[in-house]
Amino acid sequence: MSRRLAWLYVVGGGLGLAAAAALTLEKIAKLRDPAYIPTCSLNPVVSCGSVMDSPQAAAFGFPNPLIGIAAFAVVVTTGVAVLAGFDPPRWYRIALNAGTAFGFVFVHWLIVASLYDIHALCPYCLVVWIVTIPLFWYTTLDTWPALAPLRRLHSAVLAFWYALIASLVLHAFWDYWTSLL
Amino acid sequence: MSRTSRQKNRNILAARRGPSLNVILTGAVVLVAVLVIGGVLVFNRSDEDGTASNAALFPAGAHTLSKVEGDKVTLVEFLDFQCPACSSYYTNITKKLEQDYRGRITFVARNFPLEMHPLAVPAARAAEAAGKQGKYAEMYHALYDNFDQWAVEGQSTSSDVRRATAEFEEYATAAGLDLERFRTDMASQEVQSIIDRDVTDGTEAGVNSTPTFFLDGERFQPTGRTVADIDRELRARIDAALAG
Repeated sequence: MSRRLAWLYVVGGGLGLAAAAALTLEKIAKLRDPAYIPTCSLNPVVSCGSVMDSPQAAAFGFPNPLIGIAAFAVVVTTGVAVLAGFDPPRWYRIALNAGTAFGFVFVHWLIVASLYDIHALCPYCLVVWIVTIPLFWYTTLDTWPALAPLRRLHSAVLAFWYALIASLVLHAFWDYWTSLL
Repeated sequence: MSRTSRQKNRNILAARRGPSLNVILTGAVVLVAVLVIGGVLVFNRSDEDGTASNAALFPAGAHTLSKVEGDKVTLVEFLDFQCPACSSYYTNITKKLEQDYRGRITFVARNFPLEMHPLAVPAARAAEAAGKQGKYAEMYHALYDNFDQWAVEGQSTSSDVRRATAEFEEYATAAGLDLERFRTDMASQEVQSIIDRDVTDGTEAGVNSTPTFFLDGERFQPTGRTVADIDRELRARIDAALAG
């Protein structure tokens, strides 16, 4: 595994972990006092309150950020271990790719829910979206030698994907963005 | 030349070829995304500043309950005279609001009769017919003030056109209208086409229920559950628009 990927795990996983932890703390505060307004609820569109209260926010029966705390911690730990000299065996890398693939699919399901069902954006969730996509992409490229030709376009594919999601966000909250101008 | 120095030379040559395809493509994607998103936002903005959306919400000849020079702040309501929610909004919110903000905002009333209300179109015709004699506001108030007299029968929606028409003519007389002309106008194609235009404009603006408000072209979507909450919200928005 390359050191660059290890650094991506440390930085990306660290950001994801921080966002998941923040969301968990907000959730606990909200459980303690239902009238509590989360720090990231700024207006009807930028509102983690409405996202956290949605059924999709507990897709498996418990708050999603708990998954994030567990999973991003594994990513950070893997990054640190690789930087410290650990050479992950094949099975470890495939398992990590499976994990990031699950995160990738889950995050896109949440994006669709956020944009077209809940109609609100939550800043901490945005951080998770932003880091999960490259974590999956670069893990996949690193794990499968057959994808070598795609490595030459690694960041172009990533940029295209980000641009696609940015346009969907723009389109879904069109009225909000134009009201900001 | 040794093997290592040859390799070095090749690397230098490679570096001279300029940025890789990946970097170029990444830059291109980012550039296109920024240009498209930015451009679309800026263009939309100039549309909103213009008269395009306002013209659809507030066309020439649409009736106003309050009017200010230059229409600095414009509140547009799409309403159905027989809809109980509209009647409740009128009693609890807009009747008072119209008085409190008279001379400060332009308050436009547009027709959006819903199919589920059989007397909504006749009532809209009555209001528009009164408008033809310059008494739209009087008829608007009479229709909502006397909602219980013509729009409902007990708890249910009335479909008694004869009773409603008699009531409408009574309000017309009270407002000092020429009753013969009022009757002709009520039945006229011209009045019907005004209502059709309102419904078309409303549908295009995304109206699917009544009452629906637009403040300066932006749809008002209340979050409050009680009319008192909604009243506060709407007033806060109007105050902000007046201040801004």
